[in-house]
Amino acid sequence: MKFNWTSIARFLFRRPAVERELDDELRYHLDRQIELNMARGMPAEEARRAAVLTVGPVGALKDDCRDARTGRFLETLFQDVHYGLRVLRKNRGFTFAAVSTLALGIGANAAIFSLVYGVLLRPLPYRDGGQLVVLHQQNPKAEVPEIPFSVKELTDYRERSHTLQSVVEHHSMVFLLSDSHTAERVQTAVVSGNFFDVLGVRPLMGRTFVDADDQKGAAPVIVLSYKYWREHRGGDPKIVGKTFEMNSKPHTVIGVLPPIPQYPAESDLYMTTVQCPTRSSERFKANRKARMMIGFARLKPDVSLEQAQADLSLVADQMRQANPEVYPQPGEYKMAVAGLRDDLTHSARTTFFVLLGGAGFVLLIACANVANLMFARLLRMEREIAVRAALGASKSRLVRQMLTESILVSLGGGLAGLALAPLALSVLVKFATRYSTRAAEVHMDAPVLLFTLAIAVGTGVLFGLAPAFSSTKDSAEALKRGGGRNGTGGHQIVRAGLVVAQVAVSFTLLIGAGLMARSFLKLSEVDPGFRTDHLLSLRMTPNSARYRQSPDQLSALTENLMHRIKAINGVVSAAMVSSAPLSPSGIASGPGNVDFNIAGRPVSQGQLAPQVDITIADENYFGTIGQGVVSGRVFTAHDDARAPAVAVINQAMARHRWPGGNPIGERIAFAYNPDAWITVVGIVSDTREYGLGHPAKDEIYLPTAQQGGFSNNLIVRTAFEPGAAEPLIRAAIREVDPFIGLDQVETMQEFEYESMAPPRVTTVLLGIFAALALMMSVGGIAAMMSLAVTQQTRELGIRLALGARPGAIVSRVVRQGVVLAAAGIALGIAGAVALTRLLATLLYATSPVDTATFLAVSLVFLGVGAAASFVPARQVSLIDPLSALRNE
Amino acid sequence: MSKAKSDLLQGTLDLLILKILDLEPMHGWGISQRILQMSESVLQVNQGSLYPALHRLEEQNWITSEWKTSENNRQAKYYELTKRGRGQLATERENWLRLSVAVGRIVGTA
Repeated sequence: MKFNWTSIARFLFRRPAVERELDDELRYHLDRQIELNMARGMPAEEARRAAVLTVGPVGALKDDCRDARTGRFLETLFQDVHYGLRVLRKNRGFTFAAVSTLALGIGANAAIFSLVYGVLLRPLPYRDGGQLVVLHQQNPKAEVPEIPFSVKELTDYRERSHTLQSVVEHHSMVFLLSDSHTAERVQTAVVSGNFFDVLGVRPLMGRTFVDADDQKGAAPVIVLSYKYWREHRGGDPKIVGKTFEMNSKPHTVIGVLPPIPQYPAESDLYMTTVQCPTRSSERFKANRKARMMIGFARLKPDVSLEQAQADLSLVADQMRQANPEVYPQPGEYKMAVAGLRDDLTHSARTTFFVLLGGAGFVLLIACANVANLMFARLLRMEREIAVRAALGASKSRLVRQMLTESILVSLGGGLAGLALAPLALSVLVKFATRYSTRAAEVHMDAPVLLFTLAIAVGTGVLFGLAPAFSSTKDSAEALKRGGGRNGTGGHQIVRAGLVVAQVAVSFTLLIGAGLMARSFLKLSEVDPGFRTDHLLSLRMTPNSARYRQSPDQLSALTENLMHRIKAINGVVSAAMVSSAPLSPSGIASGPGNVDFNIAGRPVSQGQLAPQVDITIADENYFGTIGQGVVSGRVFTAHDDARAPAVAVINQAMARHRWPGGNPIGERIAFAYNPDAWITVVGIVSDTREYGLGHPAKDEIYLPTAQQGGFSNNLIVRTAFEPGAAEPLIRAAIREVDPFIGLDQVETMQEFEYESMAPPRVTTVLLGIFAALALMMSVGGIAAMMSLAVTQQTRELGIRLALGARPGAIVSRVVRQGVVLAAAGIALGIAGAVALTRLLATLLYATSPVDTATFLAVSLVFLGVGAAASFVPARQVSLIDPLSALRNE
Repeated sequence: MSKAKSDLLQGTLDLLILKILDLEPMHGWGISQRILQMSESVLQVNQGSLYPALHRLEEQNWITSEWKTSENNRQAKYYELTKRGRGQLATERENWLRLSVAVGRIVGTA
């Protein structure tokens, strides 16, 4: 059909006028014909009759005129919609069941899709985001996917590559930012001067960095993140130009960023590399192995990722050959380039797509359910359809009308789903922040609405098409038969197929949820290796400017703090440690890798030195958290700066580095201070301090008293509820020094709970989907069986009359239900085996084809099949045979 | 509705309507009368075909309509040929002539 806009507009806005004109036009014709007839001498009455006869049936004529107009198609649509709405109003029960089923399915999909779209699919909010790449130095042989860059390495890539337009560096530091009366810990991104230019980020106010800000001797300037500006600086509109003290220097605020996700990490504020005390030291810059930074770059226009990879691999080879003392053997050093968007989101990918798949399954099941409802309703109105067909309604018109009706239902479901989705969204966004900084970009916006509209219409067509076609096929026959009661064989098979498919899909979904639940259960049963109860953890950041005169000042501060805290009523013991186990910051950073040597086992040139994660702790640490001593001893108050240097290692390191031997008494030295030999004096049990799902890595503990400095994390074991001690502890710290910044204040059990949030939320969501699916399947089986039973009433009545026991009939019907379920289960097992492999990376200590889960879920569905058909079967057995026979 | 039978008639009717409107704007009644007169009462147009055809032609933007006072002093809907309609008339006229000559050759008029 040609689309004629003037005609459609005429139809939409001038329909009454057009109708009136048509009437007038035809009346004019009629009148002239009458006049003519009278002029030929007919009497008035006769003239009129003859005229009407020549004109013919006016209704049909008008209809043909309307048909000639494009607007006609809209008119029938209006009629169909009108009729559909009337039918739906008449069948309240059906409409409610169908719309609410679809609302759940579509709502779940809309919510999950907005998550997937916002985090994974939406283009980066940076200029030409597709040209931004992340550089990864890797050691494939030692399976280290990410080696930070040193200044020299970044310079090499910047100067020698031919495919990169510009290279940007970033590292994260914690500084203390103070104004006249407070001090707070700020997560600071230290970046090169071109950082914001390369990303293409424009400031909300003020300006971002220029190259001059990153030159030696430049005035210290900072750029605030939107969130920090709003939440910590009250959204001060005059913030630009204000100064704060950091690292004992005044830093001037030059700008505020817009609310966009930050890469590679959320930071409170940004400074340039020349202002970072560590990064700007000459020694650091000269040392090729002083690695701390993340590097990323903008590709030159029209350069592909593959071209960049080839180019940078070449640079990596040249670097390796020029500095053989730094880089291990070939195959142990490599450069990998990845698109920024993939890098930002890859940890979210599997989980999110699994959830989207789950939501999709729920919608499919909802479709099958509604299709079955439609079938059931069509069976009841078969006579009506047959009558309409007999009265000349064309087949295509009937199909169109039924489709209109099903799309009306699905649009209703979509609308209700859209109302439901935002309720779920806030929870989901919080969940997504654990995976990607892009969670901030999740909204229900145009693409999400479009998606929802598309799936709503799609589902309407899907569940409307099958019943529509199968019902128009044999309507004439239905009329002959008297219509109504007996569904045709074709119907039965299609509907049974729908139920089987429904069971199969919900089975797969329930398997997925079951696997996740089992894995989560295993994870929560993991022994972290220490006692998490009655522990409170606080992170302290003293203002370094106040303690810079001598190193003794910090140890005096430590001593002072411990003294005050131990004196608090209810504090059983307290310790200070460089990183708190299971803390969010620890889990985010993961274990460190520090090179070391073992006395008597020199590392040959080009070989990789052994690596270990270092924790600096005091003598009370192991006792406070309840970490067991396996052999030897832990630190005592005598292990101070004057005593011989000692270390305690965990079992993993003992097994790894001294298999079958005794490490106690062995000596090691770290690469950063190769002549300072340290004696291993004890072995402690393994703890899972970087997340319950991650088995303990090699760990070495060094005493604070011998390492100097300040261990930030205070860990307190309390006699009563640890949260109750918090105000007292805060007060004690404030008394010692009011300028100590405090954050990450939480009980160890809160840390533990939070560390399991991602698998927990995934499990809960899949569980909800599976529960929905199960409920719909139960409904589907029950509806199918009850309809089948109603249709067989006559047959069953005869059987009863002939003396069949009601029990036999019940068991016959239940058997039919179980057979349907069994067929669904068989299909479901095949589907689940194929699909659960995708879950593998999300599972902890659980096989994707876990037998127990498969068995349990199969039993659930057999039970469900039996239970869902028992109720209708029971009704049959109560039938009075006589009335059943009269029923037809 | 039997499509096949009316197709030829329809095309022909369209041509007749366009041709008549090429002379002067006219209302539906007038068109039917004029076809009758000009064909010397051979062609009697059924109203059931005439009005749908007029609406279809208007839909194609070959003709436009306007309410005007008629010769007997009443309001009537007058149709008028558009520029595109004039082009269409030329095309259809040529088609018709070619067709009638061809048919004439076969059935043997002279």
